[in-house]
Amino acid sequence: MTQQIELSGVNKYYGAYHALRDIDLSIRKGAFVALVGPSGCGKSTLLRSLAGLESISSGDLIIAGEKMNGVPPRKRDLAMVFQSYALYPHMTVEQNLTYSLRIRGVKKAEAKKAADEVAATTGLSILLHRYPRELSGGQRQRVAMSRAIIRNPKAFLFDEPLSNLDAALRVHMRKEIRMLHDRLGATSVYVTHDQVEAMTMADHVVVMRSGLIEQQGAPLDLYDRPVNRFVAGFIGSPAMNFVPAKVGADGETLVVDLGGPQTIRMARPLQPGLNVIVGLRPEHLLPAEAGRALLHLPVASVENTGAATHVTTATTPELTLVLNGRIPLSPADSVPITFDAAHLHLFDAKTEMRLVPA
Amino acid sequence: MRKIISSLTDGRGFDIGLVALPLGFLFLMSGLPLLYNVLMSFQEVDMFSLGSFVRPFVGFSNYVALFSEPETWPIFANTAIFVTASIAGQFALGFGLALFFWVNFPGASWLRGLFLVSWVMPGLVVGAVWNWMLSGDFGVINFLLRESGIISGNIFWRSDPSYALWAVILANIWLGTSFNMILLSVGLSSIPDDLFEAAELDGANVWQRFYTITLPMMRSSIGAIVSLGLIFTLQQFDLFAAITSGGPNNASNVAQYWAWDLSFRQYDFARGATISVIMIVFVMFASVVYVRSTKQEVRG
Ligand SMILES: Nc1ncnc2c1ncn2[C@@H]1O[C@H](COP(=O)(O)OP(=O)(O)OP(=O)(O)O)[C@@H](O)[C@H]1O
Ligand SMILES: [Mg+2]
Repeated sequence: MTQQIELSGVNKYYGAYHALRDIDLSIRKGAFVALVGPSGCGKSTLLRSLAGLESISSGDLIIAGEKMNGVPPRKRDLAMVFQSYALYPHMTVEQNLTYSLRIRGVKKAEAKKAADEVAATTGLSILLHRYPRELSGGQRQRVAMSRAIIRNPKAFLFDEPLSNLDAALRVHMRKEIRMLHDRLGATSVYVTHDQVEAMTMADHVVVMRSGLIEQQGAPLDLYDRPVNRFVAGFIGSPAMNFVPAKVGADGETLVVDLGGPQTIRMARPLQPGLNVIVGLRPEHLLPAEAGRALLHLPVASVENTGAATHVTTATTPELTLVLNGRIPLSPADSVPITFDAAHLHLFDAKTEMRLVPA
Repeated sequence: MRKIISSLTDGRGFDIGLVALPLGFLFLMSGLPLLYNVLMSFQEVDMFSLGSFVRPFVGFSNYVALFSEPETWPIFANTAIFVTASIAGQFALGFGLALFFWVNFPGASWLRGLFLVSWVMPGLVVGAVWNWMLSGDFGVINFLLRESGIISGNIFWRSDPSYALWAVILANIWLGTSFNMILLSVGLSSIPDDLFEAAELDGANVWQRFYTITLPMMRSSIGAIVSLGLIFTLQQFDLFAAITSGGPNNASNVAQYWAWDLSFRQYDFARGATISVIMIVFVMFASVVYVRSTKQEVRG
């Protein structure tokens, strides 16, 4: 498989600040890659380094087989969609779209034809003669996308392109961007701080923290096998519950500390006496029938969304449960809970790394 | 009465008051003198009728007489040269400096602030300093030109008719450059960075970015600074008073200095007023351009 973008050992410093640490990342042609992580983790920095808007301090950046380290942005043939859209305010939509073509000296009639074609696919045909200030947020977003599409670049770079839209439009544009990507056979790198966006859009998710890639892989792999506590907590919504625990003397049970000790069985044995952190996804905690409960959890508060019942427990640390359907519960009740031992995530209490046998 | 007072505190009365106060001030301090000036240009004024408003009305004869004077056209030509060259010089240097400081090297904003010093200096002081620098025998400008081999003999900047006007222009460019730079700097920094980044990714090189992004985005700033420049250079009086006094033999005389000279030194108030009225037309034109260009800000 051909790699469209390859980063190896990339580091980036802002003065003394180490913004990107030993980034290794291969993006194959046609892939949709999402970069996620908390604010300030270096997502934008990484994307801008790809674009050439920031220079990397060390390491190699290869785009379509060519080393691009010192190459200026205009020679990289990448298109970027900015969070602010960065539309040229003094140009009409059509002029915005054809800007890159005109710069390259494409003939006027030809550029106009290209703009008409792209506008037709993105639903901008009737807006071609408007100025950006005369467009709604969603329309501006489309112009920004179209301006990238018209160039047919080696890769599309998106920096939180949907964060200025309302929730409904965001969900809609998510699908639309992914469909455009597939139809164009494009290669896309998509920065977002919204893990749901990353999980639903991308083939390959890269989770970053403090300039470091914590884990990368297929969305469901990250969900099923997070390599450490950070990724486990970052992927999935609502977030995973974490409970401190100690492996029992037999190596087969866990004594979890939820204000008071409770014992549960593990799927596979571990070294006795090891301090661990147990990760339990809210959606994996199920109401138990009488007598089959693995945990008894006192209820602190209940929120009903209609389709599901969200329960917060009165334990320390507090747990979040998402129970299907409408379950009549009130604070001070105790809810019996069961789960599949295979859904337990175990992390070393000290290193916070995943314990492999779990 | 109550109604008027209450509308003053929470209604249209307050708005009207806010507008009326400066308008009244403007009318009193600028409007009336201006009208009086226009009136005078249609009257016969001499030393004895100076004190009264009612003077013989002479129609356009002041204007006709003015344009039959042999020095009128040369002086207006000087004014045009002075204005054009000053604005061009101030703008080119100011824009260059604004672009230079835009790079934001360490200490850029500090250094840019220092440039403003030239603008807060009184014109008479600037004139005095330039007098020394332009001086024929020991001036530093002649020294530099001579040492670098550009000229062989000294130029007598202030007394040579072919250089006198340019001596004032030189000083005026120095005086106005920093103002141009500051205003253009503000214009530059109000262009969002990501426009340049987008253009860069779209394949535009430095020059293309300058012509397709910077210049069009600066249109309103440029319109404003050029029209303000026109107004300021038409007002420039101190430098003429300090450097050449319009001489030698009107070689560096311009309309604004001439109007003052006629009115207050030769007491030909009608002629002075006539010249001022002609200048008012140009200033009004500049004001319209200024107002239009500050209104037409294109911001996304
Ligand atoms: N020009 C700069 N000079 C110094 N530090 C910078 C610069 N740009 C970014 N940084 C730092 O680098 C780190 C990563 O910034 P970056 O913009 O890549 O974060 P991000 O992951 O995109 O965050 P967000 O989700 O908030 O956009 C931050 O700590 C930021 O303070
Ligand atoms: Mg960012």
